[in-house]
Amino acid sequence: MRAALAIASREVAACFRTSIGWVVLALYVLLSGLWFGLQTLQPGEPASMRALLDFSQWILLMVAPAISMRLFAEELRTGTIDPLMSTPVSDWSIVIGKYLGGLGFLGIMLAATLIHVGVLELVANPDYGPIIAGYAGLLLVGAFYLAVGTLFSAMTKNQVVAFLATLFFFLALFFASGPLAQQLGSPYNTILFTLSIPLRQADFAKGVIETRHVVFFVAWACVFLAGAVAALESRRWR
Amino acid sequence: MIELEKVDRSFGRVHAVRAVSFSVPAGAIVGVLGPNGAGKTTTIRLITGLLPPTRGRVVLNGAEVAPERRDLRRRIGYLPEANPLPAEMSVEGYLKYRARLFGMHGRSARDTINRTLDRCKVTDMRKRRIEHLSKGYRQRVGLAAALLHNPPLLILDEPTSGLDPAQVLETRALIAELAGQHTTLLVSHILPEVERTCDRLLIFAGGKLRADGTREALLAQSGANRYIVEYKSRANANNDLLAAVPGVNRCTTQSLNDQWTRAAVEFDTDVTDAGARLGAAAATHALTLRELRHDRPTLESLYISLVERAEEPV
Repeated sequence: MRAALAIASREVAACFRTSIGWVVLALYVLLSGLWFGLQTLQPGEPASMRALLDFSQWILLMVAPAISMRLFAEELRTGTIDPLMSTPVSDWSIVIGKYLGGLGFLGIMLAATLIHVGVLELVANPDYGPIIAGYAGLLLVGAFYLAVGTLFSAMTKNQVVAFLATLFFFLALFFASGPLAQQLGSPYNTILFTLSIPLRQADFAKGVIETRHVVFFVAWACVFLAGAVAALESRRWR
Repeated sequence: MIELEKVDRSFGRVHAVRAVSFSVPAGAIVGVLGPNGAGKTTTIRLITGLLPPTRGRVVLNGAEVAPERRDLRRRIGYLPEANPLPAEMSVEGYLKYRARLFGMHGRSARDTINRTLDRCKVTDMRKRRIEHLSKGYRQRVGLAAALLHNPPLLILDEPTSGLDPAQVLETRALIAELAGQHTTLLVSHILPEVERTCDRLLIFAGGKLRADGTREALLAQSGANRYIVEYKSRANANNDLLAAVPGVNRCTTQSLNDQWTRAAVEFDTDVTDAGARLGAAAATHALTLRELRHDRPTLESLYISLVERAEEPV
């Protein structure tokens, strides 16, 4: 676990030593600030973070692949994966470390929007239940997205390919669990609706943290991380 | 310390390494030579456990190397070809990171890092980002990372590749210093580098180990017993007359521009007085000589002949 934490802290630091981390963070803070100002800080609007959290859910679709794309692809491209894999650290620890690094950066990014909660507190009396549940939901969705991105990053040397593959996967998932599910009859639509991220996210936005949603995101994240471990291990057998 | 037993490694239909067997005792400094694509780096990756063999066994200190034997990785310090390093990290930051991956913490990790920085003569650059270092310094950082956990086996893959002559000399001197303290495998396709640093050579070509031994033993095994004779050409004379000398198994002649002929005369390896025989033949035929010398085989000529032999169609 110590090795995984060493890798995670190196990943978070690497995000801030390269321009991509600062660019992603600055864009997200800027856009979320604008959205918060335009949608929430308006007369007559409820004192909630719902608009910003909904917005962040969609932004995450772009941001999560941007964070995850470099996790392995960069090491594979530069060859630094060999010195890493010649240490006595297990492939699982390497994947978990990289993933936690990405998740740590995402956490920092989401934490930056807590300033808006402070602003809301200053001008109104917000209900903290939906805010806490909303942030928990965002973090879970982000964790799921990052796990998908980690898998694709472990499969290619090219960061752009990793980014696009992750993005197309999300688009396919949204299409299957949205428009396609609506077109299909039972029982196919029932199965596809269970994969819908927005439906689960809506519950979090209402202030409800349901165990089945938590299990869904955590379980699928584990599946994709296991895939990333398999992709990494396969390098030793190819 | 290391033993390879009939090791094969294929990538699909490509046989990168075929039936390679050798052993390296503890403390030896072994040069691994061969042209690009000879199977050197694949063999090294098999020893480090980064690749498993398709067939055969790699044994390190009595334990079979396999990807799941993570404990064996502590015994190996590996500087990969092209020395990949995280450009955005500082020298010290990178070594701290590596120390944590090898389970070192606290004061002992700090002391080890300081010692390694000193040993690799990179202390003055410890705060510098790796991307801002010269190639020579980067190579030292790569060496420091490979040495940090004080491994008994040090594997250096093309450590002077891409360096300027001054940096090559610096790096070579550093390797020579380190080599006495670790069993060392030095991979290179630069002959003088390996010749000067190593006490034993492994020559690879076409995925196979073609030669294994000390420089002197390899040259002795090469079997060449060749003399060069330059004599004044004579009109209407047989320029192959040295071919008739007893013990000669091959004689090739070449007319030089200035009325002289150069003959390369190969004797059977058991002929010990070849020079005297050639001298007597020259006297018999009243040849005017300007040169008669034993053409001693060099590592370069042996290497080239092995590589050329490997490239010949079967």
